[in-house]
Amino acid sequence: MKRRAFLLSTAALSGAAAGCAKNDAPPGRLVVPFWFTYGGRNRATLSTLVARFNHSQRDLWVRAIFQGDYFEGLAKLRTALAAGAAPPLSHVVGEIVPYLAEAGVLEPLDDYPGARSLPLHAALGQAGSFRGGAERPLVVVPFNRSTPIAYINQRLFGAQHGHPATWEQLREIARELTKPGRFGFGCPIDWWYWAALVGQAGGEIVERDGRVSLGGNAGVQALALWQSLVSEGLMKQPPGRDYNAWEQLSQDFLAGRVAMIWSSTAFVRYLEETADFPVRALPLPHGVRGSVPTGGTHFVLLKSAPRELKQAAWRFVQFMLRADSAAFWSSETGYLPVTSDAAQLLETSGFYARHPNYRVALEQLGVAEPWPWSKGLFRIQREVVQPRLEAAVLEKLDPAQALAEARQLARESAL
Amino acid sequence: MLAALGVFFVYPLLSALRTSFYEWDLLTPPRFVGLANYRAILSSGELFASLGTTLLVSVVVVLGSLVLGLALALAVNRPGRLAALARGAVFSAYVVSWVSVGLLFLWIFDADAGVVNRLLGALGLGPVKWLTSTSVAPLTVALIVLWKVTGYAMVVFLSGLAGLPPEMQEAAALDGAGPFSRLRHVTLPLLRPTAAFVATTSLIASFQLFDVVRLMTQGGPVRSTTVLVYAIYEQLFRDLRVGRASALVVVFFVVLSALTWLKLRAFRAEEPA
Amino acid sequence: MTGERNVRRLALGFALLAAICWLFPYAWMLLTSLKTPQELLKAPTALPGALRLDAYTEVFHALPVARYLLLTTVMALSIAALQIAIALPAAYALAKLDFRLRGVAFALLLSALLIPAELRFVPTFTLFSSLGLINTLPALVLPFAVSAFGTFLLRQALLSIPDSLIEAARLDGASELHIIYRLLPPILAPSLAAFFLISFVHHWNDYFWPLVMTVDDTVRTLPLGIALLREQGSGVRWHIIMAGSTLLSLPALALFGFTQKYLLRGLGSNVG
Repeated sequence: MKRRAFLLSTAALSGAAAGCAKNDAPPGRLVVPFWFTYGGRNRATLSTLVARFNHSQRDLWVRAIFQGDYFEGLAKLRTALAAGAAPPLSHVVGEIVPYLAEAGVLEPLDDYPGARSLPLHAALGQAGSFRGGAERPLVVVPFNRSTPIAYINQRLFGAQHGHPATWEQLREIARELTKPGRFGFGCPIDWWYWAALVGQAGGEIVERDGRVSLGGNAGVQALALWQSLVSEGLMKQPPGRDYNAWEQLSQDFLAGRVAMIWSSTAFVRYLEETADFPVRALPLPHGVRGSVPTGGTHFVLLKSAPRELKQAAWRFVQFMLRADSAAFWSSETGYLPVTSDAAQLLETSGFYARHPNYRVALEQLGVAEPWPWSKGLFRIQREVVQPRLEAAVLEKLDPAQALAEARQLARESAL
Repeated sequence: MLAALGVFFVYPLLSALRTSFYEWDLLTPPRFVGLANYRAILSSGELFASLGTTLLVSVVVVLGSLVLGLALALAVNRPGRLAALARGAVFSAYVVSWVSVGLLFLWIFDADAGVVNRLLGALGLGPVKWLTSTSVAPLTVALIVLWKVTGYAMVVFLSGLAGLPPEMQEAAALDGAGPFSRLRHVTLPLLRPTAAFVATTSLIASFQLFDVVRLMTQGGPVRSTTVLVYAIYEQLFRDLRVGRASALVVVFFVVLSALTWLKLRAFRAEEPA
Repeated sequence: MTGERNVRRLALGFALLAAICWLFPYAWMLLTSLKTPQELLKAPTALPGALRLDAYTEVFHALPVARYLLLTTVMALSIAALQIAIALPAAYALAKLDFRLRGVAFALLLSALLIPAELRFVPTFTLFSSLGLINTLPALVLPFAVSAFGTFLLRQALLSIPDSLIEAARLDGASELHIIYRLLPPILAPSLAAFFLISFVHHWNDYFWPLVMTVDDTVRTLPLGIALLREQGSGVRWHIIMAGSTLLSLPALALFGFTQKYLLRGLGSNVG
């Protein structure tokens, strides 16, 4: 008797657990699951926009599901794709887009209403984000896009320290600002910033003929710059991996332990609001040329979802790209306004005049470098380059040798 | 029962063996590649590195839990409130979620704001790079595992102690043996089977290590805390390489079986006939 | 006998030290969860200025804690119940019945003890994804239906039950099923209770399996949710993370407090 009662109550509990999983949508609405990977303020801003969309019409209900950080979310998305449980809508980092597109899991968007005529900023759409992106079926729409920028602690810089416009000046100024207990410069040992340095040194990670060169000599110079700054004690190498390192660096900057950092424009709002000193954003310095990669994520529709849901998801994407939504997103976070309408809106409303730090990344898009359309790009990033950057700086390996090994591996392993 | 064991234990291993000869990303059809996956995990050094890390952690955890578990059991094997408190406290770690433990020690061992480095700083020492140095991080991870599993070892030793015939202790005491000599000549030899059990459990626990690595270090810095299970997870979910993940599973199984077999033999050999 | 007294002192000193080493982290977790971000930034090791539960409010705001809690409990209860339902007849067969493959079955069981879930997940994952079971409650429960540990534990306990008891029941016309599910459980109660608790706590706390078998929050368990707290944003969040960890630890610790006696006895009894 007891056993039966127990089993019954277990069954009842399971029912209850399953039942309250999806009770947030009003009856009669089509629920559109949207997997997202923003935390903190970005997440709150996204929730605001989702709520606005849900209240702007009566037949759809976007349900935003948090999936950890970008890489965590990506693992979940690919798991779900393999398991046939993918949502209609998510957003992914640029580096994985060629892989997913070639695997045939992304929905071509060309025939979706208005997809080809969105007023996107030239550097941020598929055509500008990927070399050769224009000739392929449209599979991504940009949403939270960024570039790396420099942040300086204006109180420590004062008037006597200049702004670094070249690598040499970066080193000079970092030296001037380094003191016991304080580093002049800080940068996560991360693929993204390395990509910026490679571009600035005049190289490309994947050559135009598709050969994986990792920037050749430029890649080595980029790594060597970090190594020398770290070994001279001018640069703080933040501990932790991926975004833990970025976060740690923000904390060091906010606590005055690092005078100047490289980070994403996505943190403008957060750093400005949290710092107890004036924060100023600057473009990254030039090497032999100016160059920055773009970052952040793109919206993707997943082919495996039912047609009805994909069309519904597209309506949400359209909403998110409206000038007011995109401008709101940008001004609340620091991410780039992805459409010219939104940028215009921020300009005419006087937002940029009041908040000049937000304009730095937008202006820097002039030297933005597109990513190669390479199926193996993501594996080059995660398996080949990122671990070696960390090892080379931490264990003081010869940069030329470390990258030669990486190149070898990139060519051998079927990417 | 046999069928169930087959479905949940034998099938997965055979299936892993088969998959280890294929290249497969879960999204596109698998492709037969022979031994390429094994070659890849060997030539990249991944296999030996993650095996080495796993063994390093295992050695610390197995030896640590034996010594500390026995010492604690001897210390708290008496009536009184303090002993009961210590018993409860040490064992409680065993029932707390690895997630809590991982997050908690991430904070405690934080390089700058963590309480351990702050205390060391107050004493004019440190800071120790608990989780950010390639040589210290695996030991920190092992230490945390030890914190988590020692309570279990202690409980097992306690029940081992309870099972000892009290007459032998008394006889030895009458013979004039001091407490330490009694421990060495009477208690320890009798506890050998208990120790074998503790060693096996600790070995399995440290081979299963994943949660704290994922929560605290993600296998880093560099690859210094990439233990086997984490390497398998990374191959599958970060890199979508099912074949290589399966090859690691196969090797893992072989190593674990070999270790167990060796240990069984060792203990059997030592047993008086 | 001063030697004995010194040993006693040494032992108590060691016990005290151990209690501190094991209790301090909990205290630190609790204290941190009561602080404000400002306090954490300025003086991370100072005591909190006042009793503030803001961090807990934030956890409840960020996660559907009640739902995760319910789901986790249902999952762990189902696993424990299923394991007992299957382990009972299996252990009975191994301990009390003579059949041809008994030796093989027992050897298989012993080797299954050694195979951790972490070794089984790759093929199980691909199998379940082809069956469309990923991200469902069965994916979290079914792979654990058979517990080699539980079967072993119950078999050991059954060995000490006299065969005459079972013979008597058979003579009274009891079916084997009746013997397994009606006659034995009361006799095996201590072992069953211990096994139930161990299994429940283990799966309630499990992080790995739910992590790899679920993709969104339809069947997200509490440990997964709490682990996600760390990735949810910028800024000093240790108070929130520690509040989450406290919430996650409390049920297990409370259960442990109430059942310490059974748990310790059950764990101790499986030696050798």
